[in-house]
Amino acid sequence: MKRTALVLVFVLLLSFAAFSAKIPSDTVVIAANTGIFITLDPGGVYEVLPGKVVDACYAKLVDLKVENETLVPRLVLAEKLDISEDGMTYTFTLKDDVKFSNGDPVTVDDMIWTVKRFLKMGKSAVWLLESIGINLENMDQTIQKVGERGVSFTFDKPYAQNIVLGILTNQFTGVINAKVALEHEEDGDMGEAWLADHSAGAGPYVLRQWERNNLILLEANPYYFEGEPAIKRIMIRDVPEASNQRLLVEKGDADVGWNIPAQLLEEMEGNPDLHIVTVPGHGNEYVAMNCSYGPLQDPKVRLAIKWAIDYEGVVDQIMGGYALLVQGFINKGYFGYVPENPFQQNIAKAKQLLAEAGYPNGFEIELMTSTTDERKAEAQKVQADLALVGIKANIVIQQASQMYAKYRQQGHQLIIAGWGNDYPDPDNLAQAHANYRANQLAWRNAWYDDWAADITEAAQIEPDPEVRKQMYRDLTFYWYDNGPFALMYQTIEKWPVRNELKGFEEAAFGYGMVFDFTKLYK
Amino acid sequence: MNIWSFLVKRLLLMVIVLFGVSCIVFFIAHVIPADPVGALVGGNAPPEVVDRMRAKLGYDQPIAIQFVRFITGAVRGDFGISIKTNNPVMEDIRNYFPATMELALVAIVISVFLGVVLGVLSAVHRNRLVDHFSRVFSILGVSMPVFWIGLLLILLFYYKLDWLPGGGRLDFFSYPPDRITGMYLLDSLLTGNWEAFKDAFLHILLPAFVLGYNSTASIARITRSSMLEVLKQDYIRTAKSKGLRRRLVIYRHGLRNALIPTVTIIGLVFGGLLEGAVLTETVFSWPGLGRYITAGLLSLDYPAVMGGTLYIAFIYSLANLIVDFLYAILDPRMRT
Repeated sequence: MKRTALVLVFVLLLSFAAFSAKIPSDTVVIAANTGIFITLDPGGVYEVLPGKVVDACYAKLVDLKVENETLVPRLVLAEKLDISEDGMTYTFTLKDDVKFSNGDPVTVDDMIWTVKRFLKMGKSAVWLLESIGINLENMDQTIQKVGERGVSFTFDKPYAQNIVLGILTNQFTGVINAKVALEHEEDGDMGEAWLADHSAGAGPYVLRQWERNNLILLEANPYYFEGEPAIKRIMIRDVPEASNQRLLVEKGDADVGWNIPAQLLEEMEGNPDLHIVTVPGHGNEYVAMNCSYGPLQDPKVRLAIKWAIDYEGVVDQIMGGYALLVQGFINKGYFGYVPENPFQQNIAKAKQLLAEAGYPNGFEIELMTSTTDERKAEAQKVQADLALVGIKANIVIQQASQMYAKYRQQGHQLIIAGWGNDYPDPDNLAQAHANYRANQLAWRNAWYDDWAADITEAAQIEPDPEVRKQMYRDLTFYWYDNGPFALMYQTIEKWPVRNELKGFEEAAFGYGMVFDFTKLYK
Repeated sequence: MNIWSFLVKRLLLMVIVLFGVSCIVFFIAHVIPADPVGALVGGNAPPEVVDRMRAKLGYDQPIAIQFVRFITGAVRGDFGISIKTNNPVMEDIRNYFPATMELALVAIVISVFLGVVLGVLSAVHRNRLVDHFSRVFSILGVSMPVFWIGLLLILLFYYKLDWLPGGGRLDFFSYPPDRITGMYLLDSLLTGNWEAFKDAFLHILLPAFVLGYNSTASIARITRSSMLEVLKQDYIRTAKSKGLRRRLVIYRHGLRNALIPTVTIIGLVFGGLLEGAVLTETVFSWPGLGRYITAGLLSLDYPAVMGGTLYIAFIYSLANLIVDFLYAILDPRMRT
């Protein structure tokens, strides 16, 4: 009797265990590692995927669009932009038919409140606005209301338009409904605690729920001024393990896997139910040389190292083809991108350069990098390549934060690291890679080159796009010959996507900077 | 010694243990040659930003001052503000701990049930097929890494057989029961939400089994040997010879007496369960304290790691205190 009961219970259990709940056609399920999510407040967010979730909930003054495979700014909340004669004041006139997700009209006061709130909060992204001359101290002068529908920003220099607009595409111009935020204010936090996991914006989606380390749920905003999006619900499920993400996608319980490494993707390529979408990323990976260290002081030695590396081997063998062979510091997909890649492995040339520099038998040097599998593999590859020209590189693996601490103090000899970009303009990249005065990568590598620094600073305020483009081209070629970097590749963003989900490629182009959920449909 | 002075003595000991744990947790976190501020602001940040952030978080203070701050805060249950979530660590723990507790409790139920059954069976049928099976099962349990067995079981039960879900606490499209304790099984029972109960139950089976597998093995081994010991006793022979049914002899006379060491091991493995949760929760996308600590470790969120670890140590010593206390009530010889 007892036994029969047990068997019955077991059969019952199994009968309701039939799984595979299929995803409804108006819903997209994303399996992603949400461990990096800190806040979904437009004034505090800085990380990549969280930033895109915030973008989906808040309409911004300016956003990016794709034109001929290049990211260019487009006005979103503004219908008109006027730039003063001196090129330092930008006046945006807001559209007057835009509503927040609760139906309230978007006002210019909300916009001003949003940006000032961002400056008052002083989170990680605040340097972006500070870098063009707007800060907490001067914000009442530099940000002004103009008439009923206008807002003006005054910068400290006549920066190129692409830079200013590029910076304004960051989440901090995503207008917040000030009234709603202030209703939820606690201890004068301007709604920071509440906005961390609620939204009060005018974007295509509304943040319905965020259960940390579990689920983020977005629902379509019925008041969205560019029309309600086709996909009504977006669920981001926290799936920390890449192999679990893979199983969920292959099985159809998730439409997209967000953090799947190249090696797993290669194994998924054969599945006919899904396809792999790739778009150029916004990061790069390089070998950098400290110009204040011994042999590296000689530009010929630096050139020899650039000629010793097997770039194609790195892209094909280590990245499994999921990387772009780009050697200049301006990313593909950006204004000013230089398509020429002058370097390939040429052992004879490298040896000759070393001999000319007085090191016919090479030398011994330390090669530092961080703990990820890719970095370790790259370090071994570079070590093997350098050995071919007689340079003995000793690999030192360090925890990333420790490596960067050392790097910031010019404490390295050779280093393999990468740069992730903040807005799609070459200025940001040129400042980092070529201008030592910006206290960034060029400085860390002690490349005190005034010609490169001057042209970087001049290009920043050059109004004519064609002239500006040529300046970056000249700089890139100068940097190829003299600079302290052997740039190995530009990163690629990659996702396995179920075939039911359409429009992913258009939505994802430019990812890192932009992800347009409204382009998705089923 | 009476029972109350025993309790007071144990409580004092617990305070000392917790202080020791705090010291170790704090100094390990600070001995690691890593820079939490650097990790927080990222590789792109210029030095000024790093310094500004360091001062803001108080990491520019001498280590002794930081330690005193940590200890005085911990006494009040204040582990500081998590660098990453920006919430008080204690609040985060309150959010995440119920999920871990639920997982550990179900794991212990599964492992006690399986462990005792296997242990008894292999003692009774010593050196027969079931005994060999149980031994192999136990050895595998002790030696297979949690994340590996977890992934294999997901592959089998979710991907191949489609019997059980592939991770998380609930199905993608169901809503959690109203929060009372934060433990979905209990909350859904209390609110009579059968849909959620069924869902939560199916979701917890695999992770709880994986988490409890290691303990199942220990419990089975202990039960087997203590059962063998008991079955040799005179009173068992007496019971058999007076013609009692075999089952009655085994369960009433044998098992009851053999269970005492098993109770000890249950108290011990409970700590292991909380600790094993760190890996199990990552594999099964289980949003508990283990995940919280892992995420904290990866981003060098010291307050979260120190607070989370100390909290687990606290629960562990509490569990041991309870076990010892029960013992003292059951067996006066223990009160020394």
